[in-house]
Amino acid sequence: MKLSYFRRVAAGGAVAALAFTGVGSFTATPAYAATSKVSVVHGIPDTPVDVYVNGEKTLDNFKPGDVAGPLNLEEGAYDIALTKPGEPVGSAILKVDNAAVPGGANISIAAHLDAAGQPKITPFVNDVSKVDAGKARLIVRHTAAAPEVDVRAGGTPVFEGLTNPNEAKGDVDAGSVQADVVLAGTDTVAIGPADLNLKEGTATIVYAIGSAEGKTLDVVAQTITGLHSAPGGVPSGDGGQAGTGVDTWWYGLTGAGVLLLLGGGVRMASARTGRK
Amino acid sequence: MTVRNRGALAAMAAGVAALTVATLVACGSQPADDVGTEEATALASATPSPPAAAAVPSVPVTTGELPADAATVPPVRLVIPQLDVTATVNAVGINERTDEFEVPPSVDQIGWYRYGPGLEADAGSVVIAGHVDSAKQGKGAFFRLRELDQGDTLTATGSDGRARQYRVVAREEYAKTKIPLDRYFARDGKPRLTLITCGGPFDAETRRYRDNIVVTAVPA
Repeated sequence: MKLSYFRRVAAGGAVAALAFTGVGSFTATPAYAATSKVSVVHGIPDTPVDVYVNGEKTLDNFKPGDVAGPLNLEEGAYDIALTKPGEPVGSAILKVDNAAVPGGANISIAAHLDAAGQPKITPFVNDVSKVDAGKARLIVRHTAAAPEVDVRAGGTPVFEGLTNPNEAKGDVDAGSVQADVVLAGTDTVAIGPADLNLKEGTATIVYAIGSAEGKTLDVVAQTITGLHSAPGGVPSGDGGQAGTGVDTWWYGLTGAGVLLLLGGGVRMASARTGRK
Repeated sequence: MTVRNRGALAAMAAGVAALTVATLVACGSQPADDVGTEEATALASATPSPPAAAAVPSVPVTTGELPADAATVPPVRLVIPQLDVTATVNAVGINERTDEFEVPPSVDQIGWYRYGPGLEADAGSVVIAGHVDSAKQGKGAFFRLRELDQGDTLTATGSDGRARQYRVVAREEYAKTKIPLDRYFARDGKPRLTLITCGGPFDAETRRYRDNIVVTAVPA
């Protein structure tokens, strides 16, 4: 894999995390697409939960490291609550009220630790624009109780200075790459290395989760398919032996034929007129 | 009849002769009409997605493991008895410079688009492209592709050794500027085999054919 294909996106710069209250201002929503695809990612170590949406249990015993969804959710406001398995929604350990889900978007909601180790919920808008033929999209999200990190591929930093709860992304040549996460500016490996199989025409979203202090750092991956593009064309011949239609000489011949006919006709006509 | 008249008559006769030849050539160069366009289009329509469910439906849960390498079955050999063609199939991708399909340079070999479905897929278009010809190497494996007709059979053998039969349902010709490539490189819709080569009028200056010939086949 050529590392030059990574667009180095500064942490924070390309972050699609949106404040829950600010979601309503999302404007790139076509009028006909009232539903959004919503996934839920569990990145809080050792804490299985039940997930309630608008007071109804939607996920039962949702385990750390699991990804749920996508659900098709109508545009609107949702109350999301996480409880210990089996406990009533009233005793939620983490909740967000009136979370605005815009229409026509693809969203991942991550339950994770903040940099200081406190549980929180962060929504990310997933970039589901098409990738060029032959490419794959890699998105890395820092959702762990850990300091600033760099993400390396084949030992070379590709995303630098990534902080919680931000993301970095780039479209890269499809294929396999060995990746790891190091403390920013160092060679101290925090997570990995792991083989990343970046399938063409997909987005692979890797979440760094857990806690550095608790030695529970790990990754959760989510894949979005169907982002492929067709090749620019299929050039498959330069010999000309199979050419159909007509060549330039044909136009010459046709032109000459027409001229001869016309010329001869005019002469005939003028000759006859002359004789009268 | 005057000499002048005879000259005029000769000119007209020559004109008629020239036009006759031109007409004959033009008729002889007409490619066969497209067949099966509707079938090919219908194959490409995606399976309808379920309607947006109620506000909070039940949700699939997956373990968030890093994606594994998918087990695709590349085609390694294609046999077209009708055209007397047996060709080796190479797994190919995209030409980095042109962003186009990387058709194998050797004209007796053909290329399978390795980013799309393999022979194992139960949906989408398995694409194999080959040269119609080359200035240096002469006729290619797909020289006579446009002679294929509805009902002709093909055999694609996968890397697993299994031979799979296909039946031609469509043969179409598109200007390269108009060909609906998204449909032929789709990864959804019914499983199908799509063969592509060049055709149509040849521009001797740019050494390019104007058109693509596309043959669509379904599992027989």
